[in-house]
Amino acid sequence: MSPFLVVIAVLVVVLLVLLVAFFLLGRGGTRFTFDIGGASPKASGGADASSETGFKNRLLGLGVFSGSIIGALLARLWSMQLLSSADYSAQAENNRTRTISLLAPRGRILDRNGKELVTNRASLSVVASADVADNAIAVHLLGNLIGMPAMAVKRKIQDSSHGAQSLRVVAVDVSRRVVAYIDEHPYLFDGVKVEQRSQRLYPQGSLAAHVLGYTGSITSEQVKAMDEAAEGSMGYELGDIVGQAGVEYQYESVLQGIKGEQTVYVDADGNILSHAGSVDAQAGSDVVLSIDSDIQRAAEESLEKNIKRLHDSGREDCNGGSAVVIDVTNGEVLAMASYPTYSPNVFVGGISTDDWEVLSSEKSNNPLMNRAISGQYPSASTIKPLSAFAALSHGIADVGTSYFCSGYWTGFGAAYGQYCWEKNGHGTMNLQTGITFSCDVVFYEIGKGFFYSETPEGLQETFRSWGLGAAEGIDLPGEAAGRVPDAEWKWNYFSSSDDSARSWLGGDTTNLAIGQGDLLVTPLQMACVYAGISLDGVTWRPHLLKSVRSTKGKGSVIEYKSSVLRTIQQEQSHLDLVRSGLKGVIYEESAAQASHFTNLSVSVAGKTGSAESSKTHPHGWFIAYAPIESPKYVVASTIEFGGFGSEGAMYVVRDILGEIYHEPDTSDEVETSSVR
Amino acid sequence: MTTRAGTGNMGAALGSILSGVLEGLGGVLSKSSRGSGAGASSRRRAGFYRLQLVPALLLVAYGALVIWSASLTIPEASFPRHLLGIGIGLGGAFAMWRYDYRIFANMSRALLVADIVLMLLPMVPGLSWSAKGATGWVKIPFIPMTFQPSELAKLVTIYLMSSLGAEYNGRIETLRDYVKLCAILTVPFLLILLQPDLGTGLIVLVVGASIIICSGARRSWVLVTVAGIVAFSALVIAMSMTEGMPHPLKTYQLNRLIVFADSSVDPSGVGYNLQQAKIAVGSGGLLGKGIGNATQAASGFLPEAHTDFIFALLAEEFGFVGSVALLGLYALMIFPTIILAQRVEAPFGKLVLVGVATMWSFQLLQNVGMCIGIMPITGIPLPFISFGSSSMVTQLLAVGMVQSVWHHIPKAA
Repeated sequence: MSPFLVVIAVLVVVLLVLLVAFFLLGRGGTRFTFDIGGASPKASGGADASSETGFKNRLLGLGVFSGSIIGALLARLWSMQLLSSADYSAQAENNRTRTISLLAPRGRILDRNGKELVTNRASLSVVASADVADNAIAVHLLGNLIGMPAMAVKRKIQDSSHGAQSLRVVAVDVSRRVVAYIDEHPYLFDGVKVEQRSQRLYPQGSLAAHVLGYTGSITSEQVKAMDEAAEGSMGYELGDIVGQAGVEYQYESVLQGIKGEQTVYVDADGNILSHAGSVDAQAGSDVVLSIDSDIQRAAEESLEKNIKRLHDSGREDCNGGSAVVIDVTNGEVLAMASYPTYSPNVFVGGISTDDWEVLSSEKSNNPLMNRAISGQYPSASTIKPLSAFAALSHGIADVGTSYFCSGYWTGFGAAYGQYCWEKNGHGTMNLQTGITFSCDVVFYEIGKGFFYSETPEGLQETFRSWGLGAAEGIDLPGEAAGRVPDAEWKWNYFSSSDDSARSWLGGDTTNLAIGQGDLLVTPLQMACVYAGISLDGVTWRPHLLKSVRSTKGKGSVIEYKSSVLRTIQQEQSHLDLVRSGLKGVIYEESAAQASHFTNLSVSVAGKTGSAESSKTHPHGWFIAYAPIESPKYVVASTIEFGGFGSEGAMYVVRDILGEIYHEPDTSDEVETSSVR
Repeated sequence: MTTRAGTGNMGAALGSILSGVLEGLGGVLSKSSRGSGAGASSRRRAGFYRLQLVPALLLVAYGALVIWSASLTIPEASFPRHLLGIGIGLGGAFAMWRYDYRIFANMSRALLVADIVLMLLPMVPGLSWSAKGATGWVKIPFIPMTFQPSELAKLVTIYLMSSLGAEYNGRIETLRDYVKLCAILTVPFLLILLQPDLGTGLIVLVVGASIIICSGARRSWVLVTVAGIVAFSALVIAMSMTEGMPHPLKTYQLNRLIVFADSSVDPSGVGYNLQQAKIAVGSGGLLGKGIGNATQAASGFLPEAHTDFIFALLAEEFGFVGSVALLGLYALMIFPTIILAQRVEAPFGKLVLVGVATMWSFQLLQNVGMCIGIMPITGIPLPFISFGSSSMVTQLLAVGMVQSVWHHIPKAA
């Protein structure tokens, strides 16, 4: 008890005592008595005139008191109800109206023939109003029913990121059992409902997973970035589902619809009383890709089959690879496969931490990585056509130059001898046969020629002009640029080494000429290079988007216009030489290899490659285009640590061409001599 | 008539009040059964003081309409209960009208005892019933109703102070007498504060002060007293706001004062009620939103919309026109009461009327004023309008008091 209260109590007691005293003392007093008859006061009112006037004035005063109270109230009410009424009305309206976002269905993703790659489905979700979070019993029951810790349920219900009045999603894709239980026990789950919500659906399973990408809840950084970027103010808010990879990410602005708004009247506790006006949500637009799902499926299946075959034949590190198919006449990507793959379904409704750790770990060989555009490998022998172009353009070699391959090359002196992969030697070679038989000695000579020429970096110049060392600009996130090494790069890259190790040597140039060492390219880049070779130096920009379709009505909103990425001026005789060499690879290099292509009705040109790797087996390359007469398709495949190109990647390319021309590979001849 | 004047003992006084009420009721019955008999009323002025009665009844009807509309959306506002309150109140008022009020003029000791007993009732274990932090309610035995004795105590205090003040016949000669009157007034005031019910205490203080002033206290004494009260209040508030000092005011009381001083303070916290009440009143506009469309009250933004903040609901539904009608009815009820006080000869009758008129005026100021931000927030009901039987019965009894004065004016010779 505070001392002040004690003081008050004491005062009360003192007063009471005083009062009693007054009564006792006053009993005999003249004035203070209690026995006046109400009807007849002691003194007669009429006799005392001054008292009457006093009463009159005092009652007048009371009248003024009451009158001024009413006047003051009236004045204030006048000001509030008539003058400031609009302002208060606005506040009252603001009090009782709330807006709820209506989610817009996301656009679908279709292949070039209109087949659904990604669509939406209605899923049964358990939703709860915000006050359920305070109902410990309901939270626990929900947790047990759904199989989720009670704390997690509570946290989900408390998440107000979609607006205070919106229902909170507790679980998506719940089973019929859960739905039935909740419906049968409404008294246990006051404020809990089962709702149909739209979820991403992948009717083709994991097909083209790397191209399609996946969706996920927007992060707070993304909200900020998108709000700043979007001029039309898409109005993203936390909890929104947005594309996080692949086409879902790339064409987010198209796929994402426009949210609707429902205006509701609420009471003071936030309960919805009635609905006012609403603006319907607008579904996102459909995206049509250039992908052909049949070719895509063939690519993925062949890739998986061959990688597993190589892996099971003792090449334990062989766990990844990729394939890409491009229409050389317009740059449309018909297929883009990467292995290992993943199911985009695991991302629907939020991916679990465990799943994420598996998918993003190196141990499981990075299944989320799209190796066709992000995988970087030495190009190996597939670079030889470009080395030939460089040599021809810079006068290091000409069409008729002949070379002799003994299997061991000592062009930089005996101390720096280098083997051709064919240690027995190819004998006399020229540029064309050098490409066909992939003779390293021919290209060592070219490298040496460049090293001592006035344009020592002529190789790099040519490689870069064909797009190496820079991203091609495909409409997918995460494309790698690769690397074209030169003297400056080496000097900077090995900055901690001593000068002799940092200096560019002749061996670096010869290595570059055969595509080994520090050169890094992506399968997409090499596919584009061969597309250019097939089309006399014209390369179309590779792309996945074909058109954007409105979900309402027919017709396209946007039709993708193909554009030429680059045009390289190369003498016709040079092109003919290289292409003849590439045709020779298919039909002359080895009988076994030829047997896989002679059963095709179209003529094919291509190149194998085996990129030296950090592990036992090289990365195998195979790139081909067809038909030779009027080139249409370029197919490139890489298999990591899978051995020579002719051992794995070649089969993938052949299977894809088989799917394109409906002519499956009937040859079962296996390469005996290792062709590189 | 039975003789009851001069009985000093408390039980007899209470008994006499009760028997008076019964006699009043019996009178109604007997009157109707006997037809227009002559009876004992030859000395009295017949009938009712219509000038005051009609506005009062209109106010009751207006209040019933407002409570009915509140009952559409507020489950606690039970319209039948409100009508029950009106019924009991009208019965009581009728009894008061019949009963000669002058009997109270020489019962001041009994009145004081009755006042103290009423105030102490809520503190009796078993009887007390708390609401909103105050133990101001009493359970009525055997029926599920509660009653707030401090409401009735207001009327008892009016009679008490009037009976004491009437003795001086219009002029208080000595300071000693003035101090005595003030000291007696502090008894009901402090007892109400103990409940604690600052609002009702304030009414008792103002009504009592008004009666003392009208009894003929000297202006200088009154001014000094007012100055003393102001200084004391300032000290109490200052102490409550200072760290480390004892805080006689509770936090919510202090907050109300702070919000009153600056309504923009914390609109979602301590300033919420005032803010919402002002929005309700202001958004009513000229003609109001109509019955049942008061979004502030109906949707629960306005707290206590059927009791303390009933005026905000009324102003929201019926707009400025409705507010003016309400204030007009109050004016038509209060001014005739003061006019009647002018006409009554006996000081006791004058002072009773002064007390009643002051009570209505001050409660109007306090209740409407707090809704529109010109008075601090206190839990005072709006007479005749607010939901709550205690208040309704008390206010109708007050009407009966006024009517009784009119009824018992001696006939002019």
